[in-house]
Amino acid sequence: MATLLNLSDSDHSGLSDQSVSTRSSNRSLRIAEQERRKNEAEDPFVLALKYFSEVEAGTPVTGNDELENNLVRVEKVAFSRGLSPEAISIMLDFAMSLRMGSSPCARVLKCLLPASVVPQEAVVRAIVWLTVRKLPTSTQVLFIKWVLTVFDMIDAKDKLRAIYGFIFSFVTDENLCPFICHLLYLLTRKENVRVFRVRKLLEQQSKLGRQPYLLYLLSLYKVFCPELVTLSIPSRMKSGFKNHISPWKSALIGVQRRNGVQVASGISLAFAVRDKTASRKRKHAHLELPPLSPVTIKEPQAAQGSSRKLVPMQQVQSFAQLLQNMHRIELPAQMGSLLGSSLALQYLDCVQDESALLRLNFWLGYALHEEFLFCSDGGANKNPEEALQFLNRLLSAQHFLQEGFNSSDAFLFKFLNVWDGSLLRPQILGLLSNIPVIPSSQIKALLFDPLMQLFFTSSLFFKCGLIECLNHMLLKWLTWHSAYALEDDLDISLNSHTSINITLSGFKDSVMELVHFVGRLASLGLQLEGCHSLLLSFILDFYETVCDTFLKFGLPLVVMPPPGVFYPAFFAADPISVDRLAFIMHRYKVNLTSAKRQEKVTEQAFHISRQTFREFNRYQVFLVNCLWNSNMCYPEAEVRLSDELLAQSGVPQFSTRFDLIHHPAFVSYALDFHHKCWPGRKDTDLNSIKQTKPWSWYLEYLFTQGFDGLKDFLQNNISRRVMMAGDRREDGTQSQELESAPQIKQPLLS
Amino acid sequence: MEGSRERTPHSGVVKRRSKSQSYRRSIRTCFGVASGLSLTPALTARRMNICRKAPRSQNITEKVKPEHLALLVKTEWQLSYVTPLYQFRHTQLKTYARQLSAFIAAEKQQGLAVEVGGLQNTFKVSFSVLQGLAETNDDPETVLIQVQSKPMFARQEDPPKTVWSGWLSCINGNPEYLQSLPKDFTCLPLFCSKGAEGLSSLVKSWLQRTFDCCFGPLDINQTTLQWLAALWTNCHMETNIQKLKMIWTLPVVPPLQVTYTVDSDDALELWRSTRESSAEKSRGAEDEVCIDFSEVTRFMQGLMSHFYRHFRVDLSAGELNQVSSALGSAKLNGKIKISSSRYLISIFSLLTECALLKMPI
Repeated sequence: MATLLNLSDSDHSGLSDQSVSTRSSNRSLRIAEQERRKNEAEDPFVLALKYFSEVEAGTPVTGNDELENNLVRVEKVAFSRGLSPEAISIMLDFAMSLRMGSSPCARVLKCLLPASVVPQEAVVRAIVWLTVRKLPTSTQVLFIKWVLTVFDMIDAKDKLRAIYGFIFSFVTDENLCPFICHLLYLLTRKENVRVFRVRKLLEQQSKLGRQPYLLYLLSLYKVFCPELVTLSIPSRMKSGFKNHISPWKSALIGVQRRNGVQVASGISLAFAVRDKTASRKRKHAHLELPPLSPVTIKEPQAAQGSSRKLVPMQQVQSFAQLLQNMHRIELPAQMGSLLGSSLALQYLDCVQDESALLRLNFWLGYALHEEFLFCSDGGANKNPEEALQFLNRLLSAQHFLQEGFNSSDAFLFKFLNVWDGSLLRPQILGLLSNIPVIPSSQIKALLFDPLMQLFFTSSLFFKCGLIECLNHMLLKWLTWHSAYALEDDLDISLNSHTSINITLSGFKDSVMELVHFVGRLASLGLQLEGCHSLLLSFILDFYETVCDTFLKFGLPLVVMPPPGVFYPAFFAADPISVDRLAFIMHRYKVNLTSAKRQEKVTEQAFHISRQTFREFNRYQVFLVNCLWNSNMCYPEAEVRLSDELLAQSGVPQFSTRFDLIHHPAFVSYALDFHHKCWPGRKDTDLNSIKQTKPWSWYLEYLFTQGFDGLKDFLQNNISRRVMMAGDRREDGTQSQELESAPQIKQPLLS
Repeated sequence: MEGSRERTPHSGVVKRRSKSQSYRRSIRTCFGVASGLSLTPALTARRMNICRKAPRSQNITEKVKPEHLALLVKTEWQLSYVTPLYQFRHTQLKTYARQLSAFIAAEKQQGLAVEVGGLQNTFKVSFSVLQGLAETNDDPETVLIQVQSKPMFARQEDPPKTVWSGWLSCINGNPEYLQSLPKDFTCLPLFCSKGAEGLSSLVKSWLQRTFDCCFGPLDINQTTLQWLAALWTNCHMETNIQKLKMIWTLPVVPPLQVTYTVDSDDALELWRSTRESSAEKSRGAEDEVCIDFSEVTRFMQGLMSHFYRHFRVDLSAGELNQVSSALGSAKLNGKIKISSSRYLISIFSLLTECALLKMPI
């Protein structure tokens, strides 16, 4: 068996791999080569091939033992390892030239199993033999079937394409026609489609009746030249060409498995007439994506010359092909079809043609209007499944392109007025979050009024969803701004998408409107839902975006949360909300200080209103006083209750109830800390944590619990001195010191 | 450290890309150069005119060939709206006819390829321009499509029969909208068809594939029906409309259908009285007779209250389904028939307006 190893490429490489792996020297390689040559000369298989290439025409077949023996040798190799390109060439030539008559022909064809590739020349020569010699019909068919089977393994196709007309002439042969059509289907290029060929095929059609193979070939012709031929493939015929692999299948798979090549996948020919789902009967045609089909009627001036070179989108099957043909891709007849394929979406991203996008928008807008607004046949309520699919597809396209289509924006503005807030909620909110910046003069009527109504009449989950959606919307607006804004050109047209030029100040106004709107929704929403922590969490998400507008997105705008958001977040019983609030306040401070610094440095300053600083300071003082100073009732507090009222409540030391120890969100941590700190103690006295050492330990403990927001906030706002000051504290003076010391670092921003 | 990081956002990130480059990379550029169309409809929704000119009898035969007019009148048309056609050329109608007849032949004989331009013995399609129906310079000319067929057992000399016809038109279309479209697009928003349903959908599907447009049903809604009732009544001043007939359905069990027929003279009298009361308020431009929608509403209320006095049935609770007179008839489900060519233009202006309102952008 070792002697056979050299016969195919993969074996050859296997040999060299072996020698490399044994790290043998050059010398041993040379010896191996010599050995190989020597073996080759004596190899019975090589001798057999020699026999077939040299055997004279007219040698008798019957009783020819030599032929039999040689053929057996070749078959043995073929079925075990496959044949090398040269072997295939020799054997094919032997068979098709009928040098020994037609009887061994079929047998030879059946063993032509390529180990690697099939040389193109051999196939071309064999096709030429097909016309010269009189092969029995069954053998002719077998040969074409073989070509179809190994088609993907033929090393090049240019010469085969060059004899397209020659191959085409076989379609008149009734027996070969089905297979020739298949072969032509694989070879056809745009330049091959000619009127006379169309006529010839139609002639065959009238002779043979409606045959799928003629139809498939003609359908490809239609793709290239829809102006020449038209047809409609009935649904029962939509399967495509048959595979003709059967005579070789098991042997070929065996050879390929042994050689470790994966060509088999290429053998099954895909014939994509339409995707499967389309064959399902649809009641609602408007939600169906149009098929990817080429333009039928070309512009007269484009018909000549240039259009010859255009590649229909339908013919582009891979990303590599797309890249190659980027400059000459012909848009499909219906732009809506681009949404259906991910490859086409890639292309859509580069399309610069205004009309093309308008076409797409007309179609999309039409589909959305018909389905959700006009509801001509029941609408989305009747067929939620299809509507869902459609919107998901639209959303994924928008995510891919990272922007919305303006027809879907136009649709949404109308739809929000009639939406019940539950129909396809995730999808509609998803689309909504893709809406581009709206001028502040129109934002109320288009967006806020309908959303406000929906918000107050819907469930908690809708409220959460909407806040999340508005957060995404804001993020997209800000990202867009940070990508396109220019420092020295403040008067840019921010959103050419909408062809309304928004200046930077206009953009700021819109963002501010949006943030204020969410602030209003959030305050009232928290009241309505009893400060539900889920809703609060979504609201804090939103403010995490808002507090960083300046540093993260370069937008000179800082908007503080309204009290209706700030206080519920602070008084929340879960530590996460308080922690996030502290983080948000920390980021606000960082943003404001850097804005302030930049205002001083650069001349073209933007102005952050005093009101904003005042609001910030008020919150800041409150936080520090409550959490750190244990003094909720300081004189300037915004929220004040009369002391008598608080005294009536019976809560002892009400002023300290919201410090880091007694705050309902942290009290469990304080208790836990207490146990750990004084394991032996029977009676729990949380106030003992306030002593200097335990206090700093307690802070450490809290920070290790993952309260990073709190950590950032405290470390940046409580001056080092005070943090350290704890060390000097004496038990007795502690409370006074906490009350009296100006614990807030420096003067606050103003 | 912190300081340098913080200063970046406003200057650093933004400066990295040049404006033209980043803009070019974005799809938005395409819309940037786009005409007002891409946005305006989104932000300023189109609304129906609340005021329109009273129809005047026109001798349309001077403008439009009588044989063309004969094709349009006295047939009931099913209405659809169409989004603008992409790359439609009035000069290529012959090519379209060839394509469409091959398409119909191929669709009718599933699984049989058909040569485009080959002789079709079953269906012959013709496209033609109906000159003269366009009212303004912005209106594209109306296009008529006819499908002719020879019956299976017809004699050789028998002429082919028209089995389907339809036309695409735009009469007095909103000039702002029409001008906002790029020149690749032809806006013929109103599609009227007559004939077998199967052929209608074939023709529509061919138009959809060829011109990348979309078809949707165009119903004649309550408001439009009321307008028609008032406009037709107004015509009685010049032309005898004989009777004004309205059909209502009332949501009771079992459903009640009311056919309300008013003598044309009585209707006109009522109409005049509503007109007069409003004319007193605004007696300005007398030369151009304009009708306000408030007058239409009052006219309808007058008719309904009259009915209520006699039959104690409140029609406003029901739905107006159909309006007809000697000049034509219109149904809620989008079927319209025009009996006299004299007021054709004003009726189709109204319908064009309805069709344009359905445009998605």
